[in-house]
Amino acid sequence: MTKPQKNSAAGWRPLLISGPAVLWLTVFFFLPLATIVGISFFSRSDYGEITRPLTFENYQRLVGFGFLGFDLLYPGILLRSLALGAGTAALCLLAALPLAFFIARLGRCKNIALTLVVIPFWTNLLIRTYAWQIILSPESPVTRALHWLDVGAAGEALYPGWLALSLGMVCDYLPFMVLPLYASVEKIDWSLAEAAMDLGAGRFQVFRHAVWPQILPGALAGIILVLLPATGQFVIPDLLGGAKTAMLGNAVQQQFTQNRDWPFGSAISVVALALVLFGLWLYRRKNGGKEIELA
Amino acid sequence: MKPPGKLLRGTALLLYFFLYAPIIVVVIFSFNAARYGVGWTGFTTKWYAALADNPLALTAAKNTLVLAATSTLIATALGTMLGYGLKRFYFPGQKFFQSVLHIPVFIPDIVMAIALLMFYELAHHWLGWFELGLTTMILAHVTFQIPFVAIIIQARLAGLDPALEEAARDLGANEWQTFRRITLPLIFPGILAGAMLAFTLSLDDFVVSFFTSGPGSQTLPILIYSSVKRGLTPDINALATLMILASLAATLALTLLQRKKAVHK
Amino acid sequence: MKNKFLRALIFSIIVFSATMATAAETLNLFIWSEYIDPKLVTEFEKANDCKVNISLFEDAESMLAKVQGGGDSLYDVVVVPDHLVPAMVKLKLLAPLRRESISNFTNLTEKFLNPPYDRGNQFTVAYQWGTVGIFARTDAGKAVPPTWGVLFDAKQRDGSYFLIDSVRDLVGAALKYQGHSLNSTDPKELKAARDLIIEAKKHCAGFEASVGGKNKVVAKVARTAIVYSGEGVRGMGDDTNTVYFIPKEGSQIWVDNLAVTAKAPHRDLAEKFINFILDPKHGAQLSDFTQFATPNRAALEFIRPADLKNPAIYPSPETTAKLEFLQDLGLKTRLYDEIWTQVKAN
Repeated sequence: MTKPQKNSAAGWRPLLISGPAVLWLTVFFFLPLATIVGISFFSRSDYGEITRPLTFENYQRLVGFGFLGFDLLYPGILLRSLALGAGTAALCLLAALPLAFFIARLGRCKNIALTLVVIPFWTNLLIRTYAWQIILSPESPVTRALHWLDVGAAGEALYPGWLALSLGMVCDYLPFMVLPLYASVEKIDWSLAEAAMDLGAGRFQVFRHAVWPQILPGALAGIILVLLPATGQFVIPDLLGGAKTAMLGNAVQQQFTQNRDWPFGSAISVVALALVLFGLWLYRRKNGGKEIELA
Repeated sequence: MKPPGKLLRGTALLLYFFLYAPIIVVVIFSFNAARYGVGWTGFTTKWYAALADNPLALTAAKNTLVLAATSTLIATALGTMLGYGLKRFYFPGQKFFQSVLHIPVFIPDIVMAIALLMFYELAHHWLGWFELGLTTMILAHVTFQIPFVAIIIQARLAGLDPALEEAARDLGANEWQTFRRITLPLIFPGILAGAMLAFTLSLDDFVVSFFTSGPGSQTLPILIYSSVKRGLTPDINALATLMILASLAATLALTLLQRKKAVHK
Repeated sequence: MKNKFLRALIFSIIVFSATMATAAETLNLFIWSEYIDPKLVTEFEKANDCKVNISLFEDAESMLAKVQGGGDSLYDVVVVPDHLVPAMVKLKLLAPLRRESISNFTNLTEKFLNPPYDRGNQFTVAYQWGTVGIFARTDAGKAVPPTWGVLFDAKQRDGSYFLIDSVRDLVGAALKYQGHSLNSTDPKELKAARDLIIEAKKHCAGFEASVGGKNKVVAKVARTAIVYSGEGVRGMGDDTNTVYFIPKEGSQIWVDNLAVTAKAPHRDLAEKFINFILDPKHGAQLSDFTQFATPNRAALEFIRPADLKNPAIYPSPETTAKLEFLQDLGLKTRLYDEIWTQVKAN
């Protein structure tokens, strides 16, 4: 990132230019975040209102000290969500590698191939997600084929469950991995790989030592682009995961739409927020203080 | 570079198929006569006709477009100014703001949604402001759109040759003239790309809309979600097909437009 | 080019906002899905030269959360289940009904006048009533044992099943299966019910609200679901290979009510709507559509005769003896909330 050119005539002008957006984000983003951090220290009245006293109780419940005894429920949800995010990122990386190399090796059709990866992103996520309900419903050919392979019970749908959830997550997040990865793959200096090959390295060694380090920045950007949003996803687990895959996002949603425990829901959100901030901080540290290239 | 081998080509094709399978399936099943489930019971176009008579769907479509258009307009203006201001001017707290600009991009939708909901609620309770409805949704959408637009504008500005702006200034153009005649035309593709992304993000958003909406401000994603939850989707398949067609047409038009421009230059 | 683009955009926004501004008076109705005949809504709109905005909810707690979260000044009419009325009155979310503007009030069957959850019908008027039961597939003549055990007992389960996404309904079912009152506040009984549900959840396909459960059983996504009577009966109409029954251990009977929110923007229109629903013919049309039972005595003579004889809609006295109403548990509701959080998160 280049340093902003200091402008001698500036004075009031930066305020006029950046001011409106800075003000907007302060009021409608940072202030609301501060609000939920604040609310997370309040109590819930028996009828679901936010009341005093100020308390750490919500966070104690998160760590496991609930009303009905000690239970590692929420740490479990946190781990499950992280596992979902990490698993999605790993699967996306696995799928994106061949795609990125394929596109990079195409000649004139490169742009078309790349656009084809992006087009699904322009269609609504909900549509792409519930389509998997159709694909995995009891009478679909895919389900029957999988039943034949002994996946799932005969005559029954393959959703909701982990299989449906993984398919949905990877399908929805794959473009976010392909784009940054492709940007790196395209810039690969193949002379390094050739040199390694000349020195007698095997295919795997070549990839491991001469190619992978070059695409690592793209892979890292892709991982963070998939991992962070996937960890907080609640719509896809809700539509495809069913009861057994309650994630952080679903826990937040439940407190707000059913239990009316706003302070506790806020506390879970604050944890999710902290997780994202930590992820961004970690990325920037690993990446020499640079921001994620999004555009 | 050598062209892709057979194995790579096969894998890639399979992955493309995987990416497009959901979209294809929705389109196909929008013509299925079955009301429940997905057993194929015959070809029909009745769900499209049903859609035209569905006042909920029509209102939702209208809300979605008003929401996307209005929020995109505001966010593109504010985001462009922010991107330009952060890149070109120094002001106190600028570095801090630059580094927190990524937070709205990565924050889980649900956290942003409930933070806004709580904020609106408290403001409504104490001040009587922010009655939930289309307005609160527009405010919310602008909020998550601004950072994306600003980031795209910054990237575009970073790729500009500073000599062009300097030359204009050397020739006596003032700040505004330089911006209007040189910078703005140069970053215009960035603005367009930012606006398009903002528009798509708004169309795509379900979570933030769901929590900040009021009666009568239901959007298409909210309608789709509640229908899917209820397990009733034949007309939703038709609706989704129309939405897919619309976004395909828009992508195609913009790609052609950009290509035409590139050729022109 | 860009100016034209901008102009077109601004123009379209103006056109849109203009069309939005022309709407006449609006009634904002907050109601369960598939719970009112669209034709009734159109008729009300025509009769009163207004527009009805319908917002849907799928479970009672979500309704309360929305109304408590500012909905009391957004919606005009809400449908409130009996057991939530006291809490909503305590939270000052409902406006007292002005009886003089609801002349059809006297059409109600006697037992729905002056109900225990709303003495003197100060805030509510009964809308529909029904039961909670099991909706199951009977493909190839398969019989389903009439017990909650088809969900809670591993030996009697057959095929995939959905649990109901509503805390009091589900915990109530578990309590009934274990032979307790569905209003239990005994921590021991509640813990046992929680463990039963968590075990059932491990093998279930997910949580579905009543309408979603019905649709997914009809779509063969699952074999069994917990639904309300109207959904069960409508489901049997859509697919003859299904059955709705009330388990032998007993179950829940409930009354849904119409109420006006405390700060309703259109209070007069809201009361007109309530009066409209209480009209005998409208009441009959409503129940013919929802397949729930009517609390409207005057409507009985217009209702589809077969429905009146259908025990799935109007249960027999023997069945009714095993049914129990949910009660507002006051401060103990917290126990249920905690159980629900644990069930969902587990």
